Amino acid sequence: MTIKARRQSVSGGTILHHAASLAGAALFLLPFVWVISASLRQPGLPPPRTIEWVPQPIVWTNYLHIFQLVPLGQYIVNSLIVVALAVPITLVTASWAGFAMAQLHHSLQRRLVALAIVVLMLPVTALWLTRYVLFNYLLLIDTIWALIAPAFMGSSPFFVLLFYWTFRRVPQELYASARLDGAGVLRVWSAIALPLARPTVIAVAVLTFVLYWSDFIYPLLYLKSERNYTLPVGVQLLQQMDRTNWPLLMAASVVMLTPVVGMFLAAQRLFWPEGRLAGIDGR
Amino acid sequence: MCASFTSEFFLDNKPVVSLPHGNTRSAGHLIAQRSKTNFNLAIRGMLLPYLLGTLLLVILPGLLTFALAFTEYDALSPPIWRGFGNFHDVLVSPLFWIALRNSLYFAVLAIPLRLLGALAFALLLKQRRRGVGLYRAAIYLPTVIPDVAYALIWLWIFNPLYGPLNMLLSAVGLPAPAWLVNPQTAKLAIVIMSLFQIGEGFVVLLAGLHDIPDEYYAAAAIDGGNRWQMFRFITLPLLAPWLLLLTIRDLTLSAQNTFTPAYLMTDGGPYFSTLFMPLLIFDEAFERFRIGMGSAILLLFFLGLGLLVVLVYFVAGGWGYADDY
Repeated sequence: MTIKARRQSVSGGTILHHAASLAGAALFLLPFVWVISASLRQPGLPPPRTIEWVPQPIVWTNYLHIFQLVPLGQYIVNSLIVVALAVPITLVTASWAGFAMAQLHHSLQRRLVALAIVVLMLPVTALWLTRYVLFNYLLLIDTIWALIAPAFMGSSPFFVLLFYWTFRRVPQELYASARLDGAGVLRVWSAIALPLARPTVIAVAVLTFVLYWSDFIYPLLYLKSERNYTLPVGVQLLQQMDRTNWPLLMAASVVMLTPVVGMFLAAQRLFWPEGRLAGIDGR
Repeated sequence: MCASFTSEFFLDNKPVVSLPHGNTRSAGHLIAQRSKTNFNLAIRGMLLPYLLGTLLLVILPGLLTFALAFTEYDALSPPIWRGFGNFHDVLVSPLFWIALRNSLYFAVLAIPLRLLGALAFALLLKQRRRGVGLYRAAIYLPTVIPDVAYALIWLWIFNPLYGPLNMLLSAVGLPAPAWLVNPQTAKLAIVIMSLFQIGEGFVVLLAGLHDIPDEYYAAAAIDGGNRWQMFRFITLPLLAPWLLLLTIRDLTLSAQNTFTPAYLMTDGGPYFSTLFMPLLIFDEAFERFRIGMGSAILLLFFLGLGLLVVLVYFVAGGWGYADDY
């Protein structure tokens, strides 16, 4: 009798399992419940005496006020521009690199994987200062290109590795036959490799979106003028204006987290082992 | 970690056309060979943006940090050579030691707890059953919240007057500390909030558990092994490489993850109790424009971090489950 069969026969165990899972899930959803509830509170009310799940009264206008206090709409547009440039660039460079890695000689592959892992282990803190010096030299400070620059190296070696692992699973004969038909590298990449790697493309697109949408440190370091600010620095500006106006700060937080949460929920299937980013064999 | 990735198939880089000794080359062979060479060249070209980018944005800045640590530099006038002067100044500065102690406190407390949390939820939610997708999504969800929103949300949760956490604690009769306002509890608060962003480890361990063949457990069940024995002698050893990888990754991540909370929530206070290394480096370099000093701190910090990683690697190596890369 396998474990699975044994467990399923014990319904008490199942109930216990559900209770534990539910408790864990509730705990991890608590911050969401609290931020939404706090974002609807009337500004300036005294502290509640007991825990307040639904505020009285509910004030939806908090979500309007944040757009009037700071040019939040402009910041959102700036963030969207950054994402709209960074995501496609990342998809091209990361999938190129992963595709090429999968075709190279085995020993070279191993060395490139090792390089990617070393770079992955390097905290970005190490690069703050000297990238500033570099961007300053290249006159990129206070332009969005300072934020987008990493996209030209695939944003993260992790994305390159994801593509590499996916493309390794594609049987080489598929490429070889296309090559015999006279297809160039780019054609093999775009017509054969990429369509087979659709789950990886979607997953990397989501992860890249989250990375650039959430990025706070680079805009903080490399942007100077307020009109260039992206949403995270814009919200920090809101915080500096009034540190105690909690309902407005929470409303801004909800605005910031909604797109990434929505995107993750839409794509979450790809992240679990059963729907692994596996390319063609769907393992 | 990567046994399943390396053991697989193919990789042709052998010449398509192998020429028997003494044979005369036909035109067709030559064309095939040339197109093969062109193809290989073009393949290498596709690696170029990634490799050049890594050189320009990672390796070059990394090396530059080394050089700048020995200079006085404000990004306006050219750097002035200072030799080991920066390192001397850093080592006699009390703030450096405070930040080092705080960062160590965070690493020692947060990393094992984060790993344990990720492991517990991965074990709980590894089986495919009803509702498991929702539970998994809930566990992962806090991880995707942008840093700034996450810091603001916890600033609210920890607020001693308004915050829902203390309401909850006093409702059930527990003491309600002042959290971020009190130097005794501020660091602990930062650790607590880091325990809700464990999605990455959770997903990695789920995948690791998924890769363990069911037959192992079936065989153990036939031999009369109980749940604990199965965990101890099958699950844990097979997960060990993943756990090691996550520990090292968390260690390096803790060098950057503490920045945003410390910067937005406490500004290093109260009484420097949440002054972590990244914030100290930021203050030196970007608030006081002493990039040389910042680089020197960075270098010392990474030296320590590197030693810690090596230590973890060798201690864990004692488990004896070393895998290729």
